[in-house]
Amino acid sequence: MLVVDQLKKSDTRLRVLALGVLGGLLLLAGGLWFHQVIASRRYVERLNSQSFRTIRVPAIRGKILDRNGIVLAENRASYNVNLYLNDLRPSFRKKYDDLLQRQLAAGAVSPGAKTPAVRLSTQQQNELNLAARYLAVDDIVKQVSRLTGEPLQLDAAKLATHYEKRRALPMTLTAGLSMEQIAVFQEKSVAAPGLALETQAVRYYPRKSVAAHVLGFLQRDDSSGEDEDTDFNYRLPDFRGQVGIEAAFDDPLRGVAGRRALLVNNFGYRQGEFNWGEPEPGRNIVLTLDAALQADVERALAGNGANTRGSAIVMDANNGDVFALASAPTYDLNQSVGGFSTGVWEQLSDEHLKPMLNRAVKATYSPGSTFKIITGLAALEAGLDPKEIFHGEGRYVVTGHTIKDTAGAGDFNFKKAFIKSSNAYFVHQGLRVGLERITELGARLHLGEPTKLPLYSESAGLLPTPAYYKRRSGGHAPGDVANVSIGQGELSVTPMQMAVMTAAIANGGKVFWPRIVERIEPQEDQVQQRPQLLPAGRLRDELHVSQRSLDIMRDAMYGDVEDPEASAYRAFHPNGRAALPGVRIGGKTGTAQVQDTHNHVTDWNTWFVSFAPMEKHVYVVTVMIESGGSGGTTCAPIARQIYEAIQKFEQRPVRPRGGQLAEVGR
Amino acid sequence: MSDTLSLNPRESRLDWLMLVALGALMLIGVAFVYSATMASDTVRVLPLLNQPWIRQLIWFAVGLGAATCIVLVDYHTLSRWSLVFYWATTLLLVLVLIPHIGSMRFGARRWIDLGPFSLQPSEFAKLSLIFLLSHFLSRPVDELRQPKLFFTALGLAALPFILILKEPDLGSALTLFPIALVMLFVAGVPPRYLWRVVFGATVVISLVLGDILFASEKWQFIKLESYQKRRLQVYFGLDFAPPNATEEEQRAARVEQRKHTYNVEQALISVGSGGLMGKGWRQGTQNALGYLPRAVAHNDFIFSVIAEETGFVGSLTVIGLYTVVLFCGLRVAGQARDRLGKLLAVGVVTLLFSHVFVNIGMNIRLMPVTGIPLPLLSYGGSSVLCSLVAAGILQNVHLHRRYY
Repeated sequence: MLVVDQLKKSDTRLRVLALGVLGGLLLLAGGLWFHQVIASRRYVERLNSQSFRTIRVPAIRGKILDRNGIVLAENRASYNVNLYLNDLRPSFRKKYDDLLQRQLAAGAVSPGAKTPAVRLSTQQQNELNLAARYLAVDDIVKQVSRLTGEPLQLDAAKLATHYEKRRALPMTLTAGLSMEQIAVFQEKSVAAPGLALETQAVRYYPRKSVAAHVLGFLQRDDSSGEDEDTDFNYRLPDFRGQVGIEAAFDDPLRGVAGRRALLVNNFGYRQGEFNWGEPEPGRNIVLTLDAALQADVERALAGNGANTRGSAIVMDANNGDVFALASAPTYDLNQSVGGFSTGVWEQLSDEHLKPMLNRAVKATYSPGSTFKIITGLAALEAGLDPKEIFHGEGRYVVTGHTIKDTAGAGDFNFKKAFIKSSNAYFVHQGLRVGLERITELGARLHLGEPTKLPLYSESAGLLPTPAYYKRRSGGHAPGDVANVSIGQGELSVTPMQMAVMTAAIANGGKVFWPRIVERIEPQEDQVQQRPQLLPAGRLRDELHVSQRSLDIMRDAMYGDVEDPEASAYRAFHPNGRAALPGVRIGGKTGTAQVQDTHNHVTDWNTWFVSFAPMEKHVYVVTVMIESGGSGGTTCAPIARQIYEAIQKFEQRPVRPRGGQLAEVGR
Repeated sequence: MSDTLSLNPRESRLDWLMLVALGALMLIGVAFVYSATMASDTVRVLPLLNQPWIRQLIWFAVGLGAATCIVLVDYHTLSRWSLVFYWATTLLLVLVLIPHIGSMRFGARRWIDLGPFSLQPSEFAKLSLIFLLSHFLSRPVDELRQPKLFFTALGLAALPFILILKEPDLGSALTLFPIALVMLFVAGVPPRYLWRVVFGATVVISLVLGDILFASEKWQFIKLESYQKRRLQVYFGLDFAPPNATEEEQRAARVEQRKHTYNVEQALISVGSGGLMGKGWRQGTQNALGYLPRAVAHNDFIFSVIAEETGFVGSLTVIGLYTVVLFCGLRVAGQARDRLGKLLAVGVVTLLFSHVFVNIGMNIRLMPVTGIPLPLLSYGGSSVLCSLVAAGILQNVHLHRRYY
């Protein structure tokens, strides 16, 4: 103790004082050590939490492309006029002073008597401040309104909320400016401070309604992704896919949100901005669809009439790739951007038309006569001689119930019964072979199970197996078997399941998982990422049917189009000449009864399932129309138009595949 | 020791070590008054002469001039005028209470406005009390045993105490007490007197605090300004809401509590977030972003700005510099040629120490918030002037130690 030692040894009182001073200083140093070294981290956290506001910045959403890279869904810039409140603080102050002077002059407020300076109560000050802010912002809103020619009204409540809750963020005055408005705005730069023209990415569907049911749409959703931090102060608008590809591939499309931090002062106004993590842009989804073919298919469906309800699918029989998947009626996806308007929403939720329903995968129907393919195959497998003659009587009686047969009375062999679609013949064969063997085939086709197309909405349908009847009512009656044999009764399928079935017949018995997404690609500028291929031709099951049976069945199906007596003949042979020379098409029409709960027939759903081997692929075309006339007159003509479109599709050059592909199992 | 040393002709006449420490403190003071004020746009556009750091420099110059004058006149001569100083400052303390003379700021009348600058008489009252007490107590030790003398000394301290309390400025008023007590103690007043005073004061203060903090409205004999009561409640960590408050009252109390703890909290965040090394000069955000209120950042809370920007290392440097000054002062007291000089030095050391302790202590929640400035670091003319004059007194005592 250098200094203390220098004090006179005898002067104890001074030494006591020195010790006291030293103790005090050491106490201070100790306190500082505690706060600045030991507890420092806690204070740094408190500093950050009070002076930074974190913002979740959504990444640019990936595009959805067709098999040739044609854009079906992308983003475009929407121009907004934003107002930064922190730049307005001087005008807030000025308006406040003006207001105060005016109110003082009018005697509306009286200053406290204590001092010459004006003293108002906190409440008076708050009210004045609120009014001053409104006036200052309103001035600017009026300027913007004049410039853009858009009648803008400043909502006092909205301003107050923004000021309270989102002060550090710009306030959007008007969104979605037109090109003219942007030009005006940039030309006459507005004198007001704090105004900025800023862009925001919004979803855009350049082909409007094309593949609407496949693509799906987005809805505002600012919640965080799974592996993301959730403690944001603010969130910029983000969107989540609600249905279709947008929903099923939401994660890769969305990318990873970024993190920005605003430095704010003690009033909550922003003072600076930091980037705490770049957003990682979403990846592109490449579909197996062909945009042009898809559009043609949709046109063919719509050609049936304005309020046509139905669906059509074009698929590659040899690997399950979907070239087109259409549902009618459809709607313009761009209506969904920024939320459906009430009027549009009313249209879209029409109980009868259900434009948002994807009828190809979500709606289930009785397959009607198209199911005779399965019944027939089961019978052939059970040893039915196709040449065997069955005498039909124009109706068939099963345990007291009469089933009508539009094929009429007469002698039928297999092929004739098939192309004339004789109910009597197939009920007879169905009862002979039994429900078990029919539904065994159905089970191998995975009827009654979803096809797992990643569209975020799919129905399983129902395959009424013996076990099903046993569960339901103790066992199946001959009437049940008769109904299933001709595709009626409890049996229900989706058009997509029928397409998979038809493909299996065409390709020799392979049941594929249908595929609609070919690959997930990184954005153009993300070279370090590798594209991921979703493998084609994933085999789900084998039909295990003899080649003989398949040959007989295919021959019968060709006959359904080529035989002049057949139900689909006229559609493919207008004026008696083949509409598609050189193309052999095999098909089956169907007209299924729709019954109400009292078993009264209320409507007919019509079908045409078909396949055609062509140059590049073997195609499956499935058309289903609700409330159609008959499969032959309603669906087959649509299918013919689709085959014509496929001919164009066949002639289009194939896009070369670039880059290395990583296969992923899904 | 000093008598032998003082015969050495090469021995410096000024206490250079103390001067170096004072100079360093002044440099730090200007640098951080600059840092604390230049974050504000309104300050940056002021004419140079009105910018706080320049004004602080001017005050340093004025203060150094005053200190030089003090050093040039033998403290014996000065102490002969002590009664005049005392009554002059007492007069100022009375004047400041008169509405048209004392100017009101933040609800207290502490300043006399003199056009380009204003004076805080309470700062000078402390110095004149030191002069008067050393003059009064520098009599033979035996005389100090008389209780009458003891009570006269206490009375001399009580007069400015009451006047300053009236302003109101509880903090400044309370610093008079340790000064008086320490001077009485070092002068040689029998410890039992002092113990009684300390004991009595403790009892009185406890009663007063108890009354202020816990008694209901009707039993409050001591009327403090409400902000003073709030500060004490904050310091003792007490809830603002009375125990039987309704929900509405509790909410209001919570809001009020947040408002009143705000400065302390923000000062702590500044100090604590500075960490070991600090964020660098002018890099602190607490003051720049206005969390540390601009009105106090450069004066009462200048230490939290320094602590934030220079970290524990800087804080310790500041404390180190004060340690040097204070112990040089104690050495001056020890080497003083007579009891007058010794008491002067002791008084000045106690004055500086209590300012340093209370001010830094309030930044780390060791002491309640008061308006006591940090010598030579806080912005403010009166404080700078007094601190430098105080240092001048120490140098004076040091300078004249050799004429035994």
